[in-house]
Amino acid sequence: MGLIVKTTARATIPLIGIFGAYVVSHGHLTPGGGFQGGATIAGAGILFLIAFGLGEMKRRYNHHLYSALEGLGGLVFLGAAMLGLGVAFFYNTLWHSGPVFNGQPGTLLSAGYLPVMNLVVGLKVFAGLVSAMVAIAAFRRWKE
Amino acid sequence: MMAPEFFYAAIIVMIGAFLALLRVFFGPSVPDRVVGVDTLNTLIVAGMVLLGAAYDRTIYIDIAIVYALLSYVGTLAIAKYLQGGLE
Repeated sequence: MGLIVKTTARATIPLIGIFGAYVVSHGHLTPGGGFQGGATIAGAGILFLIAFGLGEMKRRYNHHLYSALEGLGGLVFLGAAMLGLGVAFFYNTLWHSGPVFNGQPGTLLSAGYLPVMNLVVGLKVFAGLVSAMVAIAAFRRWKE
Repeated sequence: MMAPEFFYAAIIVMIGAFLALLRVFFGPSVPDRVVGVDTLNTLIVAGMVLLGAAYDRTIYIDIAIVYALLSYVGTLAIAKYLQGGLE
């Protein structure tokens, strides 16, 4: 699109990304969490695609990297769920007797595996939404 | 601590949003409806901030910020479609 939209996007995309990262990392303290923050960061990707066009997006987008990141998000979520498998599946052993994430409730480094799960769900949602959006934007059958 | 002034201000903003909604319903052309939706987005952000102040919860402002950022992206997507699509 035009010059104004491109310049505004250059200023706005880091803002949306940082705010999405804030929503993801404070998922156990404030409204939001993995899905909402991931969708917000994917909104930055949509803004990049709209403002700079599909050609620039294809140059920056690596399908294998995003596919691997989405798989990694799901696997780390399952790994965090299996940390306390000695007691039960999804047992929050990081909170009860873990070395990290066992701070005072209400602080950032608390709530056991919840921040880890929020981070990986945010990564998975971001990678999945951006991959789906690029795949839809690259679909050009009507222009034969 | 509920402050009634913020509720009155939110009601005034809601009346303005209803007027913008009339433009969305009865707009004769598509850009009229797009401008109506854009106005509605801004008024909804104002309403969210006012209600966050009325209920005395600062974390409600986060949702208003996210809505303001994403409504900009949505309006931009419609504008890009109306001017001829991607590239």
